[in-house]
Amino acid sequence: MMHARMHAMTSLPLVLASGLTDYLPIAILVIMAIIFAVVNIIGAGILGPKVHGEAKEQSYESGMKPVGTARKRFNIRFYILAMTFLVFDIEIIFLYPWAVDFTQLEPQSEESMIFFGRILFFILTSIVAYIYAWKKGVFRWD
Amino acid sequence: MMMEKLWFVIPEVVLLAGVVIVAILGLVSSTWLRSRVPWVTMIFVIGAGVSFPLVFTDEAVSKSTMLLPGLGRPMGMIACVIAVCLLLLTVGRIDRKYEQAIAEGRDRFDPLRSNKGEYYVFFMLSLAGLMLTCSANDLIWLFLALELTSLPTYVMVAMSRGSRRAQESAMKYFFLGAMSAAMFLYGFALLYGATGTVELSAMRDALADQAADGGISMLAVVGMMLALLGIGFKLAAAPMHLYAADVYEGAAVHVTAVLGFIPKAGGAVAFMLLLSTMGWLDGAALPMPILILLWVMAVLTMTLGNIAALLQRSVKRMLAYSSISHSGYLLIGIIAGPGLGFSAVLLYLFVYGLANTGAFAVLASLQREGREIESIDDLAGLRQKHPGSAIALAITSGSLLGFPPLLGFWGKLALFIAGIASGHIVLVLIAAINSAISAWYYLRLVGLPLMSEPSERSETIDRDSSPWPRFTAIGLAASMVVLPIFLAGIQDETELPLTSDEADAVALTDDADQDSSGF
Repeated sequence: MMHARMHAMTSLPLVLASGLTDYLPIAILVIMAIIFAVVNIIGAGILGPKVHGEAKEQSYESGMKPVGTARKRFNIRFYILAMTFLVFDIEIIFLYPWAVDFTQLEPQSEESMIFFGRILFFILTSIVAYIYAWKKGVFRWD
Repeated sequence: MMMEKLWFVIPEVVLLAGVVIVAILGLVSSTWLRSRVPWVTMIFVIGAGVSFPLVFTDEAVSKSTMLLPGLGRPMGMIACVIAVCLLLLTVGRIDRKYEQAIAEGRDRFDPLRSNKGEYYVFFMLSLAGLMLTCSANDLIWLFLALELTSLPTYVMVAMSRGSRRAQESAMKYFFLGAMSAAMFLYGFALLYGATGTVELSAMRDALADQAADGGISMLAVVGMMLALLGIGFKLAAAPMHLYAADVYEGAAVHVTAVLGFIPKAGGAVAFMLLLSTMGWLDGAALPMPILILLWVMAVLTMTLGNIAALLQRSVKRMLAYSSISHSGYLLIGIIAGPGLGFSAVLLYLFVYGLANTGAFAVLASLQREGREIESIDDLAGLRQKHPGSAIALAITSGSLLGFPPLLGFWGKLALFIAGIASGHIVLVLIAAINSAISAWYYLRLVGLPLMSEPSERSETIDRDSSPWPRFTAIGLAASMVVLPIFLAGIQDETELPLTSDEADAVALTDDADQDSSGF
């Protein structure tokens, strides 16, 4: 079905002419997004109440007081711990689709056993990652 | 389909098991066990190599729906052979000072400071990436496999030496590598847009339909060009070669040897796979813009690599530029196309990989006060104190040059024959002129150690404390002399079974259930 449309694409102008029509919905979406943003900013300026004050003029820092340098250093342990978290995060991401598929397999069948074995192997690799992190001293906080 | 994919990744699973074991083994507190890590790694690499003929049997390959199913076995085995040589170079070199301090009781073992397991883990992951590249059948797999080949090498460069130079070159390598990945990913996106599929064999059919219908669309051509340019980074092919000298020089010599082979082989395989979607396997010619791009890349890569190598005073930079020029020669085989050309590329990767690893092994076998030797003048009169290393360097450089009885000559000959057979005589002439240029600096690597008198600088050079790099260098030099005898056997193995006639037969059976109006 794809080929039929491709047949028309022989030269560059034709490619542009026929190929770009496919992107019309995206173009509309982009235009809508721009209009939405502009209308909101202008609309808020016209309609919204205007209150000024010290707190209002400060930059927003997710609830933190914006004092001191922005180049503040964090302990590197935070990053290492965050990376360890990723290991388990990815494990969960793979476990969900596996679990959904697994319930649809015939219980005790050979296929379901292979499926089970594979996920066990996968979990084993993340356990090894955990042991590795442990041995490496990621969980020591000194 | 799913089972097929899993069946063909058995060698990679073997390597993954090795990764898991070595990662933990590198952190045990027993010094004896830790010193066995390179050998354990080697067992798994050999295991993966042995599994290739068992997994990629003729029967399994003939049933496969991959684009170039014959590629996996020869490339995988070549990769494993060279990986074993690369591993021998590293024995006793990783964490050397730290391990010494522990052995002498000056320091205690702290897992956080040890890099031993990690080096071998990254090495195996990179090797697995190369193998996965060979069995890629869709763009996403290809992208992931190529990145798996490259990403570990960035880390290997950074941790190879404690010096700032290693870190500087790792940063350069990483950022330029990310840029090249973005580039070929953009190309992949355009290819997908032009053909409506990410699967390489379906893409081949779609492009064949387009070609039969008045020419491949511009979108696909531009996408392919971007993809080739981006992947050219892995090959260190011009114009994406500029990082090579700095990165090769900054990394420790055993890592430089890895960079000279594994990412390069991955890039060459990706080139072959991508270009095979362009109707090549059905006997059609490449679209003109792509052919011109490949031509320009090949000529520029060879010429710039060789001329820059002439000007170097540092041995590692010289070998880096020489490896760039070898990518240019490889591109001749890729331009020559499936059949003779691709077989020649595989043979050349093998030949070049052995010779290049051998040359770096010589560098790894020498040291001055615990540091690597840098300048080419250090090699003057090497034969007096280190005859084995001097002769090994002479033979491996002769092989890189393509000096007749040595293995390198036969590799180059196969490339040139493939180039002439496909009608690119001018390209082969340019390559021949380039070989003549390269003789100047390769012969310096032959002449300086063997013929000239030792200087004050070269007097102070010692053997490396580990004997393995020296053994590897001498063994590889011997293989340059001995392997040409078995050339016919090697060529049989590197021969890609997919010539254009067979491809037609495969294509017809493959497409029986699909739109075959294009044929």
